[in-house]
Amino acid sequence: MIPALKGTEQLTTFSVAGDLFGIEVLKVQEVAGAATVVPVPLAPPFVHGLVNLRGQIATALGLRELFNKDARKDSNQMSVVCRIEGNLVSLVADTIGDVVEVERQRFEPPPDTVPPEVRRYIKGIYKMNGALLSVIDLDILSQELSIAANK
Amino acid sequence: MALSQEELEEFNAESLELLEAMEKIFLSLDQGGDFPQSYDFLFRTLHNLKGSAALMELNRLAAHTHELENILVGFKGKDSLPKEYISLFLRGIDATRLVIAGQEVNFDFSVKIEGLRPEAPAPELPQSAVEEFVTECEETIERVAKTLAVMESGSLGKEALDELYRDVHSMKGTAFLFSFELLGATAHAMESSLENVRNETHDCTPELLDALFKSLKQMEMLVQRIKAKQPFEDQAATVQALAETLARTSANLPLRDSKPTNPEAANPGTGSQAKSDEGAGSIRVPVALLDSLMTLMGEMVLVRNQVLQYSNRTEDLEFASMSKRLNVVTSEIQGELMKTRMQPIGNVLGKFNRVVRDLSHELGKGITLSISGAETELDKSLLEAIKDPLTHIVRNSCDHGIETPEVRRKSGKPEAGSISIRAFHEGGQVVVEVGDDGKGLNKEVLLKKAVEKGLITQAQTVHLSEKEIFQLIFAPGFSTAAKVTNVSGRGVGMDVVRTNIERIGGTVDLSSRSGIGTTIKIKIPLTLAIVPALIVKVGDGTFAIPQVQLEELVRVDAQSEQQIEILHGSPVYRLRGNILPLIDLSQLLGLSKEPPARRVTNIAVLNAEGCSFGVIIDEVQDTADIVVKPINRLLKSIQAYSGATVLGDGSIALIFDVLGISKMAQIARERSKSIEASERASATGELQDFLLFSLNSKTTHALVLSYVHRLEVFKASEIENSGQHRVIRYGDLILPLISANAQLGYGDSAGGNAEVPVVVIERRGQLYGIEVNAILDTMSTDIEMTPEMIRQTGIFGNLNMKDRLIVVVDPFELIGRSLGEPVEQELTWSSANARVSDDKLGTASEPRLRNILLVEDNVFFRRSIKSLLEKDGYEVMTANNGEEALDLLGQHSARVALIVSDIEMPRLNGLQLATRVRQQPSLQHIPMMAVSSLADRRAIQRGTEAGFDAYLEKLKPGPLLSKVAELTKRNNGVAA
Repeated sequence: MIPALKGTEQLTTFSVAGDLFGIEVLKVQEVAGAATVVPVPLAPPFVHGLVNLRGQIATALGLRELFNKDARKDSNQMSVVCRIEGNLVSLVADTIGDVVEVERQRFEPPPDTVPPEVRRYIKGIYKMNGALLSVIDLDILSQELSIAANK
Repeated sequence: MALSQEELEEFNAESLELLEAMEKIFLSLDQGGDFPQSYDFLFRTLHNLKGSAALMELNRLAAHTHELENILVGFKGKDSLPKEYISLFLRGIDATRLVIAGQEVNFDFSVKIEGLRPEAPAPELPQSAVEEFVTECEETIERVAKTLAVMESGSLGKEALDELYRDVHSMKGTAFLFSFELLGATAHAMESSLENVRNETHDCTPELLDALFKSLKQMEMLVQRIKAKQPFEDQAATVQALAETLARTSANLPLRDSKPTNPEAANPGTGSQAKSDEGAGSIRVPVALLDSLMTLMGEMVLVRNQVLQYSNRTEDLEFASMSKRLNVVTSEIQGELMKTRMQPIGNVLGKFNRVVRDLSHELGKGITLSISGAETELDKSLLEAIKDPLTHIVRNSCDHGIETPEVRRKSGKPEAGSISIRAFHEGGQVVVEVGDDGKGLNKEVLLKKAVEKGLITQAQTVHLSEKEIFQLIFAPGFSTAAKVTNVSGRGVGMDVVRTNIERIGGTVDLSSRSGIGTTIKIKIPLTLAIVPALIVKVGDGTFAIPQVQLEELVRVDAQSEQQIEILHGSPVYRLRGNILPLIDLSQLLGLSKEPPARRVTNIAVLNAEGCSFGVIIDEVQDTADIVVKPINRLLKSIQAYSGATVLGDGSIALIFDVLGISKMAQIARERSKSIEASERASATGELQDFLLFSLNSKTTHALVLSYVHRLEVFKASEIENSGQHRVIRYGDLILPLISANAQLGYGDSAGGNAEVPVVVIERRGQLYGIEVNAILDTMSTDIEMTPEMIRQTGIFGNLNMKDRLIVVVDPFELIGRSLGEPVEQELTWSSANARVSDDKLGTASEPRLRNILLVEDNVFFRRSIKSLLEKDGYEVMTANNGEEALDLLGQHSARVALIVSDIEMPRLNGLQLATRVRQQPSLQHIPMMAVSSLADRRAIQRGTEAGFDAYLEKLKPGPLLSKVAELTKRNNGVAA
């Protein structure tokens, strides 16, 4: 049983291939527009490359590729920048939504129908009015990424 | 803070007054005086006393009064002070007087009655203070170790002695202040034992030095335990024993002169001389702060670069001059900031005094260490990184390099070996050389070992240069120690040394001369954070190659004399006669499947693990100082990159990891090899190894590799003439030189070359050198040799390769010819030759039959087997087929020790020959051996039935020779 959670949580939302995702707002450093990406040869396909973020080098990761959605080059426009284990990571999404405040009691673990390639990165679902919001857990993401990268 | 005798006396007097005042108050309290009223005065007095004692670095006094103060504080706000504590304080004051008088006091601060001691907990030392204390102790111990080592070598001035004394003294003080009693006691014992030496009344003895070293080691251990927060009380007995040893040895010091010793008078105080040698103008700064400054500096360099690029595009003169100024200032700040991280390498090298001293005792060798360039500065992180590798090298030198005194005496060297460490700047890098005057590396032993360990094959041994042989000791899994000692040879070998050095962008080089010594040269960059690099383009991407690993750039276009060649599907380039393997980076990085067609090829020659290789890049752009930024952990599994950087224009470039690239290419190479091997396995042909070399001819020439004894390069100036022959000293031997060019009719050897590459061949137990123009490579092929159509001496035949023709040379015929021997021996039997051979090979009492009849129709095999057998000292007569063989046997049956025969032959084949031989009584005792490419079980069975004693597959030199030896011996045994 999941203990009843109190209070609210703020999430930065974004969409990837029509689905809505969110990351805890405090973990997000900034939201960035399209930037010049320097490809890294031999890197796994979900690594778009490196981005210069005002002198800092961030690694751009395509969420479409990561979630196994078909990658349309033109669809990746915006990115959410966060720090994972000291490294700057730019998560490339399609569009960025609002910062939403959600009630913790509306949180649920992901249903079984969520495909495994997405399911492994999210910790749960928020039932929103008219939409379902999948919450990405950066710690899980970091673990899963290093597994994926070393495959 | 320097303290004069007057100042000290004044302080002591003042302190005694204060103690007296306190004593009065405590006595009045004992009579029922008002404690709360007196408390403030008592506390203030004790506190001040402690404070000024600490200020004047009278540490024992400070520690003592500190403890008293602590006990007093426990009674703050209480109505009265219990009697037990009044007496404790009175005793404490007495003890304080003794401390001021300079006496050793072991005061017991506890009160006898339980439960009465106020709950004031033992003062918890702040962690940061302990850390600082530990750092200080480590530094002091290191300094003391250094000084002691100098002292051991016999020369220590008064000043250095004073410093030593002060160091030990202040360590004692602080140790007691922090209540690390054992540490303090050890330091105290050391201090006392040094007193007479410092006063120059007595001379130091080796026994005392030894005891001092041991004590220092003990202190080191205690400090480590403090650092690790481990208990150290168990060391009490050891400390006690050490103190006794110190006291005993110091009591037995010889008198220096008649000056009366009066240590009491010399320094009765509590260490007025104690003085930290910390320079007044320096402060301690956390390394983390420096690191973050470095990071910011990196950012600033980037901005500077961007500003400069912009200013180049603009017409604004004022801006241009401002940006120039910015450039200069930034570079200066960068330089200065680097210096803050710099530490003299002596901080690490100094440790080796101890290491060498201890090892030299342990191993029973006298080894002296000399260090020069200790002041050479290096980035702190790099200094840390080279510490272990250097220690390993120094230990190796002590253990393997320096011989035992007996061996040294025998070889006419001074009994004491010497190791020298030199550090200096060279071309923006720091070079550290560790040299010893030991036995040097033994090439043969290294080779043997490397083959045993499977690092190289026997075939490879012949064409390794001296340098490459030395490089073997850096190969993983190589250790020359015959047995594992605790000094070195613990599995972690020189490969770890090299890996660690290369990890920080450094290089390791080794040179050695047998009997003279070995020198290992380490080159390291000054710093890691900002490195000079070459910016290149591969495909559409921009990449940086660290300059340290870049040897040179080569540009190849249609006009170039040397073109890129393809060797077994991989591109190679001949760089000044050496084969340079090439890696096409755009292929390696998966940017293009096929090597792109290029009109101009740029090759960057890189060095990793002592081996050079070239990478093909598309464009060379620039050189720049780049700021290395770590790469995301996700990309770590790609070996090709060591980091990334932001370039002047704000774009990002990946930094190549040269070592990683060479490894990736290696894997690729091995893979293609295994594919080749499996393809070969399906083909029927046998592989034959050839050594390729060039002569005064466009065609490449080759030798069967198994004939090659060694490859050498001689200086032309060392070649001498002996009559008509050119010879050269080769170890203890005289090596006759034969010019392949002259013998094959290509004219004289290219004269005027300073260096002459020579292939050393063994023929009938004698070494010969064949001069060639250049040694190119080795090659393994299953292509069958086509016999030379036009009869030409000295040539076996041709290899018709896909892209070229290779002429295979018969070295034995070249040698024979140059010696004036008859050329064709195939059907003739030179009895003179045989006699000479018997004289040479047979023992005096039992002349052995060394004559072999070789029956073989293929010219190449006939010649190569003949050469092989001749090389091993046999006389060989040859026949083209069975009929010829029978003819020869009719004439020479008594002399033939063995018949080696092919099976498939015209006219009379091997099987028929064997049947005939076995039928004739005069021949049937002669052993017969079949050598055939037909060697399946059925063929072998048929051969055995026909009368062959052995059946071998064709041209396997090893088994052939051993079988021949076995069979000839058998025949000789029968004959005797």
